[in-house]
Amino acid sequence: MGSYKLPSHSFVRLFAVASISLAVCAAAASGQQSASEDIVFKGATVMTASHGTIEHGAVWIHAGKIAGVGETVSAPQSAKVVDAAGMWLTPGIIDPHSHSALDGDVNEATSPVTPSMHMIDAFDNRSADLYRALAGGVTTELLLHGSANMIGGQAVVIKNKFGLDRDAMLFKGAPGSIKFASGENPKRVYGSRDQLPSTRMGNFEVMRMAFEDARHYMAEWEAYNAKVKKGDKDVVAPKRDLKLEALADVLRGKLYVQIHCYRADEFLTEEAIAKEYGYKIRAFHHALEMYKVAPEIAADGTAIATFADWWGYKDEARDAIPWNAVMSMRKGVRVALKSDSDDHIRRLNSEAGKMVHYGGATEDEAIKMVTLNPAWIIGVEDRVGSIDVGKDADIVLWNHDPLSNYARAMKVYIDGELFFDASSTGWGTTHFTGVMHDGGDFGSEDQEDGQ
Amino acid sequence: MKLLKLVVAVIALLMPWVTVAQDRPAASSQPIAIAGGKLLTVSHGTIENGVLLIADGKIAGVGTAGSVKVPKGAQVIDAKGMTVYPGLIDPETNFGLTEISADDETNDLLERSDEIMPHMHVADAFHAETDLIPVARLNGITNAVVAPASGDTIAGQDLFIQLYGNRQQMMLGNDVALAMNYGAEQRRRGGRGEGGKSKYPSTRMGLITELRQTILDTQAYVAKRDAAAKKSDAEFKRDLKYEALIPYLKGERPVVIGVYESYDVETIMKLAEEFHLKVILNHLTHSQEVLDEIAKYKVPVIIGSIYDAPRANERYDAVFSLPAELAKRGVKIAISSADAGGPVSSHSSRNLPYAAGMAAAYGLPYDDALKAITLNVAEMFGFGDKLGSLDVGKMANVVIANGDPLDVRTDVKRVFIQGVDVPQVSRQTKLRDEYK
Repeated sequence: MGSYKLPSHSFVRLFAVASISLAVCAAAASGQQSASEDIVFKGATVMTASHGTIEHGAVWIHAGKIAGVGETVSAPQSAKVVDAAGMWLTPGIIDPHSHSALDGDVNEATSPVTPSMHMIDAFDNRSADLYRALAGGVTTELLLHGSANMIGGQAVVIKNKFGLDRDAMLFKGAPGSIKFASGENPKRVYGSRDQLPSTRMGNFEVMRMAFEDARHYMAEWEAYNAKVKKGDKDVVAPKRDLKLEALADVLRGKLYVQIHCYRADEFLTEEAIAKEYGYKIRAFHHALEMYKVAPEIAADGTAIATFADWWGYKDEARDAIPWNAVMSMRKGVRVALKSDSDDHIRRLNSEAGKMVHYGGATEDEAIKMVTLNPAWIIGVEDRVGSIDVGKDADIVLWNHDPLSNYARAMKVYIDGELFFDASSTGWGTTHFTGVMHDGGDFGSEDQEDGQ
Repeated sequence: MKLLKLVVAVIALLMPWVTVAQDRPAASSQPIAIAGGKLLTVSHGTIENGVLLIADGKIAGVGTAGSVKVPKGAQVIDAKGMTVYPGLIDPETNFGLTEISADDETNDLLERSDEIMPHMHVADAFHAETDLIPVARLNGITNAVVAPASGDTIAGQDLFIQLYGNRQQMMLGNDVALAMNYGAEQRRRGGRGEGGKSKYPSTRMGLITELRQTILDTQAYVAKRDAAAKKSDAEFKRDLKYEALIPYLKGERPVVIGVYESYDVETIMKLAEEFHLKVILNHLTHSQEVLDEIAKYKVPVIIGSIYDAPRANERYDAVFSLPAELAKRGVKIAISSADAGGPVSSHSSRNLPYAAGMAAAYGLPYDDALKAITLNVAEMFGFGDKLGSLDVGKMANVVIANGDPLDVRTDVKRVFIQGVDVPQVSRQTKLRDEYK
């Protein structure tokens, strides 16, 4: 038996672990002391993601927020000091494309337009996927609908406070996102049933038809509201339609649009349709051919969430090259790396490290691809993604340069509270008790494509 | 006019050949000295400021500066600040059996008509011009085992390749090992339950019984064949399936058994020991409960994928630490590039060194990690005297990189295969350069 495995047959040991975890939980619950106390990390190599690296730096956290960062900080005497000499300190890793903790409920693949699906309804906060991501330093995730549908469902943003209840894991105040997709997946899913869309022509026309429906719906409501305003008491309100309201929110700019697509021509067509209907695309996901059209897309301000080096698993991934991220970045596109995998989510830090190798990203540029840039894609860049005063104290301590595959996350703090400690026995979780739910299968390629 | 047409046609026919010849340089007769680098020999430690001499496609000298005599007229490559190490060997790939995973027309991964297919030879299907090989080579992979996918109990026979040359040069060893598998994946082939095919074998009992019967049938076949040979019986008909199994039942070549679960390991090893098979265990990612037993079998183990998911209630690093746990018990280990969830494709073979780095991050001594993707693999598949370390007389498969080969940040600068300085070009570098 591996020395790390929890002996599930040993009640004594399990009970001991559970008791400790319960004790920590109780302390956390009684007045949130652990989050509100002052903590100072001293002596770490601080990779801020926003303003370079500070050798032998210090970070002070107060009441769950970053209160100071620099070579020294002016924390109160009473602050708890964590000696981080020889360690690296980064913002929590942020994954802008995950399908974790959904028990396979990734695609409502019964219609190509399903914008009223909400991923939060499938969110399983006890999934082992979350635990393993936490152990890889991941503190924020955007859980997205899959890519079977042209217009999929609405995402949920979580903070990976593994062990807390569902509501406590939601990222409060994060904007809403909706998932779109085009290309092979919707073609295959609906084409195999002889339904629309079975081609890329069909792909994009399905979107236009949906937005025409939404415009008509909005006009009906506008007409109704105008009549009400005029004092018309007999007018009957149109039927509220969840699907059309969600689409209307896209047209009103209330939802960030996150689009799964691979090919250069698709980025251009998607941007043209967005302009036609007056919405903005926040990010292209996968975007493996962005290096071919980066200047055009940079001008539109759309970011990408891409893989470091996956390729060749399907035809539209044939022209993927590992230099895509850095080449696109150099041409002005905001670039994030993402997992789309319950495996890769555990090691996004070293996926970022590959960008030093492929294209010569600086360490600052590379770490930004898994912190500040994905934060922007999710729309929470004012809250997380860098070590700056006023931001949430989502912090990872590493035993090695986090851009190396030798790095292990040793301690993970979220909102100033410790959620993972590799040095403790058992799982290393500080809050979780009970039984973890089995994670999804590890897809080796574009996990959502399995649907 | 006719003659002109013919000449044009001949030239047109020759053109692809000419292009290929230009793309594929041959070994230079001039010796090459790689000087000033840090040599990771794998077999005899690290040499700072070392010199590696290549002549006639072989390693002709290894040592500190001054201890290796560089012949006059040798091409000297300055490797100051660089790391020099033997080409990496991936113990399980599908090179030349797949191109685009989702496009089945490009796949020759598995013969699905039956579970017992020892007479399938990977060498017959090997597509040497695959785009996957240059991509992996760019990161220092110089050799690989090519195996069929894992759906069959006996899937076929593996090919051992080098990642450069014409097809014949690349195929260093046909039928070097028998690819076997045992466990849940093979069982499901039988299609149990509603709507299934209800085809024998559909349980582990069925799988083992079928395998044992196959071995007994082969033994009976050999007895009958030998008896017929004595009588010079012209009517004896050769059976290719049984013929294929004979060298493996004699223990002449290794049987690579893919098996995940601890209890499956115990079952299949009972059968392997009963018939004296020369075993290499593969895919052992969920056998943490029987590591001591595995050490007692005295068989080598390939770990892959190191990224497989732990059980729901296991610690997050239960698989990451498996190489270290096995090595600690004296087991000879190799590490493959297999992706999480199983060895699906070889598009990520270029990440082989990082899998070894992951093992090092979780407790495997560094030298053991490097050995697990070089010398140990060569030895397991019968190439221990030709590959896997920087030793005089071995094939000059040598990599020069700007840092630690197991670290993701390191950039491979040059790759030599049998002394050829292989251009660092792939379909991907061409796309990169086109859109620069």
